[in-house]
Amino acid sequence: MGYVLSVFDFLGAVVIYAVRTFAYLFTGRLNLRLTARQMEFLGVNTIPLAVMVLSFVGATICYLLAEELGKRGAANYTGGFLLVAMLREFIPVLTGVVMAGKAGAAITSEIGSMKISSQIDALRALSTDPHWFLTAPRVIALFIMLPVVGAFAGVAGFYAGYAMVHYKIGLSYASFSAHVSTFTVAGDFFTSLIKCLVFGVVVAAVGCFMGYRVKGGAAGVGREVTNSVVVSIVMIFGLDLVLLPLNHWLKEIL
Amino acid sequence: MLKLEGIRAGYGDTEVLHGVDLVAKERVTTAIIGSSGSGKSTLLKVIMGFLRPTAGKLIIDGEDVAHVSEHEFARHRQKMGLVFQESALFDSLTVAENVGFFPYYREKKPWGKVLPLVREMLEMLDLPGIEHKYPAELSGGMRRRVALGRTLIYRPKILLYDEPTTGLDPTMIGHVDEIIREMNEKFQVTSILVSHDLESVLDVAEHVFLIQDGVAQDVGEPWKLLTSKDSRVMAFTKSWRDHVEMYRKLMHSKLPGANEASQGETP
Repeated sequence: MGYVLSVFDFLGAVVIYAVRTFAYLFTGRLNLRLTARQMEFLGVNTIPLAVMVLSFVGATICYLLAEELGKRGAANYTGGFLLVAMLREFIPVLTGVVMAGKAGAAITSEIGSMKISSQIDALRALSTDPHWFLTAPRVIALFIMLPVVGAFAGVAGFYAGYAMVHYKIGLSYASFSAHVSTFTVAGDFFTSLIKCLVFGVVVAAVGCFMGYRVKGGAAGVGREVTNSVVVSIVMIFGLDLVLLPLNHWLKEIL
Repeated sequence: MLKLEGIRAGYGDTEVLHGVDLVAKERVTTAIIGSSGSGKSTLLKVIMGFLRPTAGKLIIDGEDVAHVSEHEFARHRQKMGLVFQESALFDSLTVAENVGFFPYYREKKPWGKVLPLVREMLEMLDLPGIEHKYPAELSGGMRRRVALGRTLIYRPKILLYDEPTTGLDPTMIGHVDEIIREMNEKFQVTSILVSHDLESVLDVAEHVFLIQDGVAQDVGEPWKLLTSKDSRVMAFTKSWRDHVEMYRKLMHSKLPGANEASQGETP
């Protein structure tokens, strides 16, 4: 029973953090300077890592697709299949995972360290809401930057895939991208975007929640950083499952 | 003026403060002393509103704020400034951004207007030219002064110091004490000094409360700590007295001619 309550307590806190953040945004009280700083620190600095990961994934998928589709004389479908898979799943999920490992961990460790060194109390002593100063800029930064990082990573993954099939079976770019427009529709792009926005909020809100929860010095920081990454990743995969019908709905609407 | 009446507070089921009565008079430096675990830090948290009392009154400027909402308390908190034990400077901000935190982030003044205030404050604290440094690049004493500057810049009426001299070398302790005295004279603030450093308390305080086992005792003027026959006061000052006695004996036994010089002194 206690475990179930703590899960609800956690989910409630994550939702409250997100709602409070957007309340700051819509009432014009969000500090843009702090947000821009976090966008650079948490977002821009993650682009190389996400590009690297998605490039590896794109190349691997294309290697397998080229092998199987090539046997059946359908190698020119490779680019189309890859882009659909990238947009619907790999870009949001893997960029979210990379963000959880880098930005989520950074958020938890920074807020956790601030907590154990009384900096959170210092904010309150200066009549400043820690959520305004710490949570809101981070949540908005990841809300904006996860799709941006995902876009860079997605492009890199697509071209890494092309490089792989070109190397493996000598497929030209024209053949590789021949069926891209056949398979991909606007709904796929919006699915990717919505998932990225949701995962951005989740990673930042979980990171902040775990940071505020830190107790007991450096060991506590380490423990909550691990929790932050693990919980974010589990939530990303869980929400990815919950958001499965999203693509279908969007295709019907658009 | 700050007044506490029958304050009870604690963590979960554990009560730490068992009905604390305390008055910090306007423009007077009041020291709250006590050994580790006596409830000093908890009392400080109650005064700052970080921990709400379960019973009693916390009166700031004649208004009981013990049970008001967090939003309402934040308004009263602006009258108070807290200088943290470990400075608690924001690591990711420069010294200038730390000192100018309140006017820039809270009062939303443009940075162009905040910077001269910051420079003036740093000049006053004898820290010129360190605006662009980060807290990690400063010594312990410098960090304390920057933290003091961050608090003083918004001119609080009540200034609380949490163990301001802990972990500092004797020279720096004297310097911090001097700063506290200077700030009190310059800004006419009501100071509350939470400390277990008896020498520092004797140096800067004008009124002393001893807190032990979650109960505050009004000792009065600092010198009464040395003359009091109260068993609790004597227990607190015992180790300090022992040290003084040890140094006196050392002086007499080790220094050449110390015995002859002391023979003419009045016992």
